[in-house]
Amino acid sequence: MQKSMPNLYDSELQLTEYCLKVNPKSYGSWHHRQWVLITRPDPDWKTELNLCNKYLKMDERNFHTWHYRSFVVSKCQPSLKDEFDFTTEKLLDNFSNYSAWHYRSKMLVELYPDVKGGRPIEDSHHKHELKMVQSAAFTDPDDTSAWFYQRWLLGAVKNNVDLAVISVTPSNTSLAFSQYVSKDFVNSKIEIIINDLPVSGEWLSCIGNQYDNLWIFKHNVLIEDGLDIKVQYEIENGQKQVLSCVPIKPFTYVGRNKVNFQKHYSVPVLNELKDQLESCRQLLAMEPDNKWTLLTTTVFLNCINAKLYHTEVIDNLKTLKSIDKLRAGYYEDLKTKWCIENQLYKDYENGELVFKVNFGEKISCLPHLQYYSHCEKVDLSNQNLTSKVLPSLIVLQNCKCLSLKNNKLTSLRGFPSLALEELDLQGNDLDINEVNRIREVFKGNIIF
Amino acid sequence: MPKGEIIEFITSCQDSESGGISASIGHDPHILYTLSAVQVLAMYDRLDAIDVDGVVRYIVSLQQEDGSFDGDKWGEVDTRFSFCAVMILSLLHRLDAININKTVDFVLSCMNFDCGFGSKPGSESHAGLIYCCVGTLSICKRMDALRADELAWWLCERQLPSGGLNGRPEKLPDLCYSWWVMSSLSMLNRIHWVDKKSLEQFILACQDSETGGFSDRPGDIPDPFHTVFGLAGLSLLGDTSIKLVNPTYCMPQETIDRLKLEPQVLHI
Repeated sequence: MQKSMPNLYDSELQLTEYCLKVNPKSYGSWHHRQWVLITRPDPDWKTELNLCNKYLKMDERNFHTWHYRSFVVSKCQPSLKDEFDFTTEKLLDNFSNYSAWHYRSKMLVELYPDVKGGRPIEDSHHKHELKMVQSAAFTDPDDTSAWFYQRWLLGAVKNNVDLAVISVTPSNTSLAFSQYVSKDFVNSKIEIIINDLPVSGEWLSCIGNQYDNLWIFKHNVLIEDGLDIKVQYEIENGQKQVLSCVPIKPFTYVGRNKVNFQKHYSVPVLNELKDQLESCRQLLAMEPDNKWTLLTTTVFLNCINAKLYHTEVIDNLKTLKSIDKLRAGYYEDLKTKWCIENQLYKDYENGELVFKVNFGEKISCLPHLQYYSHCEKVDLSNQNLTSKVLPSLIVLQNCKCLSLKNNKLTSLRGFPSLALEELDLQGNDLDINEVNRIREVFKGNIIF
Repeated sequence: MPKGEIIEFITSCQDSESGGISASIGHDPHILYTLSAVQVLAMYDRLDAIDVDGVVRYIVSLQQEDGSFDGDKWGEVDTRFSFCAVMILSLLHRLDAININKTVDFVLSCMNFDCGFGSKPGSESHAGLIYCCVGTLSICKRMDALRADELAWWLCERQLPSGGLNGRPEKLPDLCYSWWVMSSLSMLNRIHWVDKKSLEQFILACQDSETGGFSDRPGDIPDPFHTVFGLAGLSLLGDTSIKLVNPTYCMPQETIDRLKLEPQVLHI
């Protein structure tokens, strides 16, 4: 019996190879082959790697084969560099091979992480990849594969959590963060200090989940005038920072951090981006209506210096909306996001206590709204907001007066529970009965 | 349809030993068919027709140390099975039976450079598997862990000039992606990033005028699989001649409401 086992295993492998010839996308056949190889004592991984090469020649996008390849690689452990070079070879055959770009991304961060700087990819390789992907993308600008890889490279920077704003009133202490953080994070990294004494209390997510970007701190300290309130917080490198609050009116304190949406690249990578921006502009001059070149130019501009190029970026997004109509909604929301980011710099510098959209474009969504969680007055009138944004309003925990006048609301489903004194809903396509139902549970004045 | 017979058939497909449910009488149980059975019974409000504790025991037995789920006793791992597990348990109100944090961690370990997801760690992003992973996070209320703008951009780039959607870059459109992509975009609250009108036209062009069923592409032979995704896709696009379909569960919203389930949808 023992003797025939290798033969039995071999015939199973032959059977799966036969099945895979008929259907190379059979989950079961690939899984069975994998089972045989991890079960038998004498697997021949080299043969398996060759099998992968053969199947990838037949269909370079078969994700089953690619996945089986990473399984085989995990067993026979060829050098990662060999695998990385394999993707180069595949891509030089055909830049449109998205599967190879995907596999390459995995090898790249394994092989060349930026250990010192904490970025995902080490500088010289980051730069090399940018060059390679641009030459691929320029070879055939209508092929989408390389553009996705490029967009990833542009976003491959350090991404730190930061405190945005703290607001303290007798009824409410809330902290907004640049991104979602966990309850464990706020419990262990954040300390509220009033008159030099740490305050004990409980953190509650404003949406009631384990992760949130706005946290409410329930405590028993009486908030009166003349207090010294600050937050001590620990960011990723373990350093402690302090943000002090200032009184903005009786019994109300606000502490605002610096706003920063700009991506930070190393100098060589930034210089490479500037070079590539120039190439994009040249290509664009020849083909002004090429969506991918225009989109890339726009993303480059925003990545290099969003404030400086703001007007050009917004104009480009408007052009993109008209040349890539299928994705008009995406460009519209991106325009909103980048306009709000631009306004946030100014609002935070000027110490604004009211949120009012003050740029020429109408907004279609509510990105970064937690940065305005301290505002008592929020004026979102005359915009393009639809009912799908309503649940997002939950972060306006200090808002007393909210205007949604002249928007595109069609329903109030999902409107959060807020302690508003005034809500303006005029100029929306709302059903009067629905407004009346809200009136019954709502303490403040509804203008409709 | 004969409700009684369907329920009776499902009951007889449950394996008393493992608690799992099979595709047909005498077959081996598998998490895929266990999900279908639970979904059908939830819609009929007849979850009492199976041994619920048995199903829970079966799902719990399939969770691995790393948080992933096997499809059955033969050990194939796939993010589809993670989704099946949390969907089944949430429909039974027994989500606490498994380790949710580990379930979420495993799914997140499948996130790729394009912010999409594949079937296993290291696997290429695919719209069908993105639906499974986003759905898992929606049920586990961990949508915060997604990179919503990047992922939704990749998803809206699936729309081709024909109006139809593909499942990966540089692939042909297929009707089933009207569901996988649109349901994911719905959970991300960014369904308006695709052009609804041309997608609707593509879906309707896939309907066979003779049988009424839908096929993968205009002119092909219809099948039940593409028919359900065509109809569910139309519902997401706002077609009111079809009952409202929940984007996480691919089931009537009225069933989800009756069971008091609130899968997470991201804010925008």
